[in-house]
Amino acid sequence: MGTVHAKSLDPLPMHGRDLGVNPDDLVETPEVEQEAKQEILENKDVVVQHVNIQGLGRTKEDLLGYEISDVFHARNLIEVMKKAHVARQRLLRLGIFKEVEVLIDTSEGSDALPNGLDVTFEVTEIKRLTGSYNTMVGNNEGNMVLGLKLPNMLGRAEKLTFQFSYGTKETSYGLSFFKPQPGSFERNLALNLYKVTGQFSWSSLKETDRGLSAELNFPVGGTNQTLKWEGVWRELGCLARSTSFAVREESGHSLKSALSHTMSVDSRNSAILPSRGAFFRLSQELAGYTGGDVRFLKEDVELQVNRRLFWDSVVSASLWAGMLYPLGGKASCIADRFYLGGPTSIRGFGMYNIGPQSEGDYLGGEAYWAGGLHLYTPLPFRPGKGGFGDLFRTHFFLNAGNLCNLNYGDCPRTHLQRLAECIRWSYGAGIVLRLGNIARLELNYCVPMGVQSGDRICDGVQFGAGIRFL
Amino acid sequence: FLVNHDLLWVNQIPDVSAEPWPESATLYQPLKEDQVLLSDCASSLAVQTYLRMCGLPVEVMYRANAEYMSPSGKIPFIHVGNQVVSELGPIVQFTKAKGHSLSDGLDDVQRAEMKAYMELVNNMLLTAELYIQWCDDATATGITRPRYSSPYSWPLSSFLAYQKQWEVRRKMNAIGWGGKTLEQVYEDVNQCCQALSQRLGTQPFFFNKQPTELDALVFGHLFTILTTRLTSTELAERIKSHSNLLSFCRRIEQTYFEDKSS
Repeated sequence: MGTVHAKSLDPLPMHGRDLGVNPDDLVETPEVEQEAKQEILENKDVVVQHVNIQGLGRTKEDLLGYEISDVFHARNLIEVMKKAHVARQRLLRLGIFKEVEVLIDTSEGSDALPNGLDVTFEVTEIKRLTGSYNTMVGNNEGNMVLGLKLPNMLGRAEKLTFQFSYGTKETSYGLSFFKPQPGSFERNLALNLYKVTGQFSWSSLKETDRGLSAELNFPVGGTNQTLKWEGVWRELGCLARSTSFAVREESGHSLKSALSHTMSVDSRNSAILPSRGAFFRLSQELAGYTGGDVRFLKEDVELQVNRRLFWDSVVSASLWAGMLYPLGGKASCIADRFYLGGPTSIRGFGMYNIGPQSEGDYLGGEAYWAGGLHLYTPLPFRPGKGGFGDLFRTHFFLNAGNLCNLNYGDCPRTHLQRLAECIRWSYGAGIVLRLGNIARLELNYCVPMGVQSGDRICDGVQFGAGIRFL
Repeated sequence: FLVNHDLLWVNQIPDVSAEPWPESATLYQPLKEDQVLLSDCASSLAVQTYLRMCGLPVEVMYRANAEYMSPSGKIPFIHVGNQVVSELGPIVQFTKAKGHSLSDGLDDVQRAEMKAYMELVNNMLLTAELYIQWCDDATATGITRPRYSSPYSWPLSSFLAYQKQWEVRRKMNAIGWGGKTLEQVYEDVNQCCQALSQRLGTQPFFFNKQPTELDALVFGHLFTILTTRLTSTELAERIKSHSNLLSFCRRIEQTYFEDKSS
C-alpha cells in the first residue's frame, strides 16, 4: 500500500498558514511544471471513495460538505490534487480554521477498490473566542480598544465581532454579526450595531452616529451586489466656539433611514497597486422612504482601469462622480454632502479643502467629479527587488475635479457647464507604499492648479494615507 | 456660582467693544407654536425685553434645533456680527462691552441687590418651571414631551424627550428638588413672588424709575407663566394674588411691546 502524500507534489502549496487568500494563488495554477510528472501519473484513473474531515469540534459537517464535494469528481491523481487544493483554499476562506492539511491515501477496508483513494482534510479550528486589547495615544487623547471575536459562533462560519473603544474624549463601539450561506460564501448577511464619533476639522464639525444596519451581499454574474438598510441617529455639533454660523445652523439631531444598493465588478489583480484589470462600482442610496427625517437620493460612481506597459510600469486611470439630490423640499444636510481634495483624491489641495465654504469651514457640495491619471513605475534602480522594494512604486499623476452645488431647477446642460467651470487640477510625482492589501501611504510633490478663492492648497510636499484613492 | 460662570463666557469673547450693534442682530429660539416650552419661552422673552429696554434691535428667528445651535445648549442665544452669545447674563455683559447698559446708574449696593434678586428668580421661578414641565407627570405627558419631540420623527422623538426628562430630573435631584411635591413647588413660587412683590412696592420698576435687567428677567418669567396654558392654572394663580406684579407686567408690556408693534 503506497501512500501519496500531498506534500510530495511541490507546485501545489498544500501547507502553510496563509490565511489571507491571495487571488493570484487561485488563478495561476502551475500547469507548466507539472508536465513531467503528469506523464507518469496521467493514465492512472482513480476513484475518490471517501473524503474525511478530521479535527472538527463545533463546526457543523454539512457546511463543509459544500466546500469539499467537488473532490469526488476527480478522475485522476492530478485532478484530485488540484481539487483538494481548491477545497483547502475554500475551507481557509471561511475564516474558521487555523490550519488545513490535506492527506491523500489509497482506500482501505472491505469495499476498497484497487484504484480507490481517500482524501482526508486535517483541520485545526480557531478558538471559540478570540480577543484583542490595544491602547492608542494621539493628540491630547488616549484610547483603549477592546475587541472580542467569536469566529464560528453557531458552527456554520457565523462570525460575531465586538469592538469597544473607551477614550478620554469619546467612546465608540461596534457589534456585528456575519452569516454566510453554506456552500456559497459570497452570499452573506451582515448585521451591524454601532456608535462612532468623528471630528471633522475641515468643517469644524463633530458628528456622533448611532446606527443599525442590515446588509445582504450576493454575486450576480460577475458582479457583487449589496443591498443594505441603515438607520442612523446622527448628532451634529460644533467643534469650537469659533465654528462658522453656517455649520452651527446644522447642529442638532436627525434620523436617517436609508435603503442602498451597490454593484461592483473587480477584475484587478490587487486592490492597492494593481497592474491590470478594471474596477467599477455604482452605488445609490435612497433616504427618507423608510422613516426618519432626512430625504435624499444619492448616486456615486467609481471607475478604475489599469494597463501594464513596458518595464513593469503601469498606467492607471480613474474617475469618480457623485450627485446628491435632496427630496421633500428640504436642503441637504452637511453630513450627507460630498467632500473633495486631499492627498488621496485631488492631490495638492488640503484635506477636503475644495468647494463651498463659510468662514473657513468647508460645507461640502451636492455634486462632484474627479479624475486621475497615474503612471506607476518601480523604484529607480529597483532596490529590494522581489522583496521589500516591491511594496514601493514611484508615480507621476495628474488629478482634476470639481465640487459644487447645483440648482436642480436648471437643465442638465447647465449642470454640466457648472461642473466644467472652475476645475481644480494638479500634477506631480511621488512615492507610494503599499500597506498590506488594504491601505497605502503616499509622499508626493504636488503642483496645484486652477485654485479658486476659498480653497486651501498644499503646495509642494504632501503626505497622505488612505484606503480609497483617486 | 452662576455669576462666575457668566464672567467666564465674557472672557472668551474677544474685543467686541470696537464694533457697534449691527442692524442684522438675530435672536434664536425654538419654534413658537409647536415646540417651545414654558421655561425656554420665559428666558427668551426676558432677553428680548432686555434688548428692547436697551433700544437694541434684534430679529427673532425660530429654529427647531435652537437648543443645539446654542453654544451653551441653553435658550435663547443671539448672533451679533460673528459673535454668538447665549443666556441673559452673558448677553448683558456682551451689550455692556458694546456700551449699552441698564445698570450703570446703580451703586454697588443696589447692583449686589439686583444680582441677588436675579439669582432668586433663576433659582426659584426658572427651576419651578422646569420642575412642573418635566417632573409633574401630567404636564410632562400631556404637554412637555409631545412639544419637545415635535420636530423629530419616531423613534428619535421619544428617545430625545425621555433623555431630556431624565437629565432635568437628575438635576432636580442634585439641587434637592427631587423630593418636592407640586404643592411645595407652588409654595416656593408664592414665596418668591412675595419677595419680588415686596421689593417692587409701588415703584414702576425694581430700582425706581429706570428699568434694569432684573425687570426684564422678572417680566419674562411672570408674563410667560401668566399667558401660557398648562394642565392647571395653579401656577398663574399664585402670581395673580400679587396685584403689583400684575400691573408691573402690564406696564412693561405696554411700554416695550405694544407701542413698538402699533
